[in-house]
Amino acid sequence: MMSINPFIPYQATLKEVINLTPDIKLLNLELTVPELQNNFDYKPGQFAFLSAYGVGEAPFGFVSLAYRKSGIEFAVRRIGTVTAALHELEPGATIGLRGPFGNYFPLEDYKGKNIFIIGGGIGMAPLRPVINFILDHRAEYGNLLIINGARTPKDLVFANEFDTWAKAPRTQLELTVDKGDQNWKGREALVPAVVTELKPSPVNTIAITCGPPIMIRFTLAALKGLGFANNQIVTTLEQKMKCGMGKCARCNVGDKYVCKDGPVFTFEQISKFLEQY
Amino acid sequence: MTKVITKEDLLSWLRQLAEKYAIIAPVTSNGVTLYKSVGSSEIDKINLNFSKTELSPKNWFFPPSETLFTIVKDELPRIIPASVDREAILFGLRPCDAKGIALIDKAFLAEPADVFYQEKRDKTTLIGLACLSPCLECFCTSVGGGPADLTHLDILLTETAEGYITQATTEKGKQLLTGAPRQEKEIIPPVLPSLNLILAEGITELMPRVFNDAYWDRVADRCIHCNICAYVCPCCYCFDIRDYVSKGKIERVRSWESCQSPGFTRLAGGYDPRPTKGAHFRQRWYHKLLYFPPIFGDIKCTGCGRCVRSCPVNIDIREIITDVQRMKV
Ligand code: SF4
Ligand code: SF4
Ligand code: FES
Repeated sequence: MMSINPFIPYQATLKEVINLTPDIKLLNLELTVPELQNNFDYKPGQFAFLSAYGVGEAPFGFVSLAYRKSGIEFAVRRIGTVTAALHELEPGATIGLRGPFGNYFPLEDYKGKNIFIIGGGIGMAPLRPVINFILDHRAEYGNLLIINGARTPKDLVFANEFDTWAKAPRTQLELTVDKGDQNWKGREALVPAVVTELKPSPVNTIAITCGPPIMIRFTLAALKGLGFANNQIVTTLEQKMKCGMGKCARCNVGDKYVCKDGPVFTFEQISKFLEQY
Repeated sequence: MTKVITKEDLLSWLRQLAEKYAIIAPVTSNGVTLYKSVGSSEIDKINLNFSKTELSPKNWFFPPSETLFTIVKDELPRIIPASVDREAILFGLRPCDAKGIALIDKAFLAEPADVFYQEKRDKTTLIGLACLSPCLECFCTSVGGGPADLTHLDILLTETAEGYITQATTEKGKQLLTGAPRQEKEIIPPVLPSLNLILAEGITELMPRVFNDAYWDRVADRCIHCNICAYVCPCCYCFDIRDYVSKGKIERVRSWESCQSPGFTRLAGGYDPRPTKGAHFRQRWYHKLLYFPPIFGDIKCTGCGRCVRSCPVNIDIREIITDVQRMKV
């Protein structure tokens, strides 16, 4: 699947750009080589490097599902030079894409279990394909509880999908913001507090959480307070990456490479690192 | 009986090989010895009595800076990948430097292979020279190597009064040696030098328990982030990848980096999971002595001692290993 030289990107055309929040855009891409368009496979949790040629490349998690064949999507938050350059691009532009890299959420292993999704801000991006995969295979999973949190209502990503998610069978969507605006009637609470408030049972449940490090730290504590064990809590680690294949050593943590052995880890694995995450 | 090649024959053999191969060999100029490309008319410039080159031979496979590909802005960007040179002979390797290459091989040739490295590596034959007069800072025998260790070479040459003893260890080496003018002689092999030993055995097992010791912050304090240690190291291989634009041409370039650089792990937006000087410094030692071994089966040090020789503030891997052995936590 990967190109013969994994340092060389595939060329992709930017098909559509959707503003998800004031600083996050959804980029929908199509590979330019027709033979690849139907064969390009990737799984929820995996990532690719996007090149803004001349500026550089950076890693982004896939937010689409390969089998839906509705384009390859990434949520890009404007935060550095590469993301700023990607935000400038208009449909029709060429972007380099290298990947897929990394491991993925073992969704096959989670069949029959309740799934508790906890996302904060751009952290919802890699969780969106997990949610949509479960909804596409609804009968095979238990209850689905989703907490999507952000700083303000405008910062909640994937708002146009909230209805679909909330209406799906055995699915509960809980939105929360740090600070609401005049139209906001929902929760104003930090994500970890909502975890504690909703009290989902840890029995036969997998919690998957992505978000800023501080949110992860307190969410972990909240989950433990509810009785979740480290091997029931899954996250993606964010590390600086340059190669994506265990060479450049940028993403090395202990005897693992986040790009290759991750980005998906259980807290059981993370707790074994000498470094604190 | 042993097969030997006289110095004159060795040089004329190299001259002949230079017609077909690129020859990379130790050359001393202005007192500095480096591996350099030598043409058939320059074979006499090879320094056969050098002690150790300033920079390791990793440069040949993994240059300090290399263009991965170039993009010419047409209507659609077309990627023109970097091309590779002809077959090469890396001549005059010290056994520790051959081990350095073998250690980088473990990471760079692991699936998916680093194609840029692999192409150069596949096209190169390694000819070593046994060390009969090691440098003061050499400690290869403490980390599993030795002055006549031929494990990671294609051919090893050992100097004697009668000429160089030739030993081929790989098919590639045997093939190449068939063309060398050698004689069978009764030879007494030279006595190999004995080196100072440091207690490196068991170091991997000891590393975890001293992870949170203030030791790392304290030693790191005097480090000036020059990265010389990583650059001269035969087996350090961290790199950076960046784009450069000039005159409508975009180049993607990879360059040497070091995991102890400030900001090595800093993410866009500023968050840095490894934020302190001590933590950067510690990472390099932990990668070498604790993290690399379980994945690749060996500590990432060859005992060449270049870092010891080059560090402007005398940070010394031998001392670090010894200190960790002594720290009873
Ligand atoms: S460390 Fe050993 S192999 Fe390397 S130059 Fe010194 S004696 Fe030779
Ligand atoms: S050579 Fe010495 S001062 Fe320079 S980066 Fe290495 S340890 Fe620090
Ligand atoms: S990104 Fe290069 S080793 Fe992981």
